[in-house]
Amino acid sequence: MRKVAYYKGCLASLSAKELDSATQALAPKVGLELIELESVTCCGAGDIHEAEPDYYLHLNARILSYAAAEGVDTLLTVCNVCTLNLRQANFMLLGDTELRARVNENLVAVGVPAYEQDVDVRHLLWEIAEGEGYELLKGAAHKGLKGLKIAPFYGCQILRPSKIQGFEDPDRPWSLERIIQACGGEPVDYPAKIKCCGFPIIQAREETALSELIQPIEQAYEAGADAIVTPCPLCHLSLDAWQSKLKKSTGRDFNMPILHLSQLVGVAAGLTESELKFKRHVVSVKPVLEKLEA
Amino acid sequence: MQVGLKIWRFNSRTGERELQEYEIAAPEEATLLDCLDIVKDQHDGTLAYRKSCRMMICGSCGMRMDGAAVLACKMRMYDIAQSGHVPVISAMGNLPIVKDLVVDMDPFWQKFNSVNPYLQPGYEEPPDGKEHVISQQRMNVVHKEALCINCGCCVSECNAMEADPMFTGPQALAKAMRFVGDPRDGQKLARLEKLNGEHGIWECTRCYFCNERCPKGVDPRDAIAKLGAESMKEGIDRDMGAKHAKWFVTSARTTGWLRETELVPKTQGIVSAIKQTRFALDLARKGKVPPPFPPHVAKDVREARRLHDLVRDQGRNGFAGIVQGEHALARLAHGHSGTETLEEIYDRPGAYHRPFIADEEADV
Ligand code: SF4
Ligand code: SF4
Ligand code: SF4
Ligand code: SF4
Ligand code: FES
Repeated sequence: MRKVAYYKGCLASLSAKELDSATQALAPKVGLELIELESVTCCGAGDIHEAEPDYYLHLNARILSYAAAEGVDTLLTVCNVCTLNLRQANFMLLGDTELRARVNENLVAVGVPAYEQDVDVRHLLWEIAEGEGYELLKGAAHKGLKGLKIAPFYGCQILRPSKIQGFEDPDRPWSLERIIQACGGEPVDYPAKIKCCGFPIIQAREETALSELIQPIEQAYEAGADAIVTPCPLCHLSLDAWQSKLKKSTGRDFNMPILHLSQLVGVAAGLTESELKFKRHVVSVKPVLEKLEA
Repeated sequence: MQVGLKIWRFNSRTGERELQEYEIAAPEEATLLDCLDIVKDQHDGTLAYRKSCRMMICGSCGMRMDGAAVLACKMRMYDIAQSGHVPVISAMGNLPIVKDLVVDMDPFWQKFNSVNPYLQPGYEEPPDGKEHVISQQRMNVVHKEALCINCGCCVSECNAMEADPMFTGPQALAKAMRFVGDPRDGQKLARLEKLNGEHGIWECTRCYFCNERCPKGVDPRDAIAKLGAESMKEGIDRDMGAKHAKWFVTSARTTGWLRETELVPKTQGIVSAIKQTRFALDLARKGKVPPPFPPHVAKDVREARRLHDLVRDQGRNGFAGIVQGEHALARLAHGHSGTETLEEIYDRPGAYHRPFIADEEADV
């Protein structure tokens, strides 16, 4: 078991509790012992970075510092946007000793330990798409997905900017497809899988956002997907919860179930509803589960 | 080397579209632009594309290779040809095609002009007719934005512009930051006011395609964030996007976690929030929006609050807060740590600190 610090972020703590519960249940099966960070806040979701960027840097430094204080070298995330925010702040601090010293001074002034020991921020997706995590995943996914057609949706910020994320080719990613296959599913290909779902502007510019949101859902639907899987709870929120708005504006009812990455692997690994909490989804996951039982 | 290319031909007069395949012989150091020149000179004179400088300066040769916008003169073909892959070449996105790989740049220039891309002098004259000296540090603020060559690669894949063609877009907004951040410009506030309009900075959906595609390292998305931060620092925050961003700050300093229930009314105002109620109720039934009471408060949130008040007074918000990280992120882009000594750099595996001489290879 490899010990890693675990940063849930806002969504998995609040409206996407199912992601947290599925991740906690899945972790030991893929060789991860999660040390949940308690004294942490929101990473700012790109919004604090835009509103008060210096505060954004300090909030994220505080999260990194509490992760380092656990004596681990990896901070595990389950959200695209958390991953980018934390990695970006981390690179700013690691690459600029003066900046790091100033931020540390501020941290210490309010009673937070200085961020001394470097940690690496990694998304769960990267941990299980290769190496030991991937080997364990193949063994754990014994129940399988029985050839279900799954559309991978990466979203933006796990791929771009690649100079900060850098795990895979941002135009030809492979990690979700590899995981879907390892779980016995059939990955469905479609162009919008690396595009934006519109979430960041879904409140401020709803129409623009919905024109983005419809693309992956429509394309996955047309490619015959049984469900979409995403590594990001914000993508999940817009794809799942805002799908009903598409019906209103386009008259089309896609009824496309949206799964969190941890849930998809969790189903294949035989985790139960009490851990996966599909009941919390807006679009019913039942058709998928029925196909699996059949 | 042999290079294969599939090129989308297009005739705007007839509307005909055809994918044509070419197989050419090119020198090993050839770029995509060199290959197109060979096609045009030796195989098919009817092919249309733009070029001028051939050295990544003029910004004429933006086009798509396998769906991703590139500068043709920057794109080396050796590895691709070696792998046997035959890439698909097409015109850039988000702009109307004139012929083959040539797009109509008119919408691009209109948006560019809409941000008033000229310095509007407004600084105070220095006393005694002396020179107006501006520090390097102060000009570093617009260093990246000033690198733009107006090629349009960022615009090609802008997801917000795909959804709403009226969006001002990454290039024009990065250009706007180039003047907002310039200490010699006297129209900062008026510029920010305008950039906060309907199709301005708050319509960016943060897809980061612009940063990914820009061949010059301008990072337009970061420029947009700088404009947002500077607007809010100057109290220009009436846009829903700004209110949305502000609510995250309030949440972080009060409960530590995002207060999702209040996010919609805080962003959209109470009237449109009421219109959203049915939708919200549907979500609430699934626990998608957590009940407001008791608020979910992070442990030790007092630290986050004190941190907020502490840094607020250190004068690094607005664009300065984003610029301060650029130094370190540039190192990331260029692959050097910035902390190594010369000896350490030369000692890296594979680093030769003297001219490479083939005969000596065995000794190295
Ligand atoms: S796809 Fe949507 S939620 Fe996901 S990272 Fe992009 S904008 Fe954010
Ligand atoms: S003024 Fe600027 S753009 Fe023009 S030649 Fe000189 S350096 Fe180049
Ligand atoms: S980050 Fe914003 S400006 Fe850049 S490409 Fe995406 S939507 Fe367009
Ligand atoms: S920002 Fe970059 S990609 Fe966009 S026009 Fe300028 S140089 Fe080209
Ligand atoms: S020909 Fe000038 S940038 Fe490519």
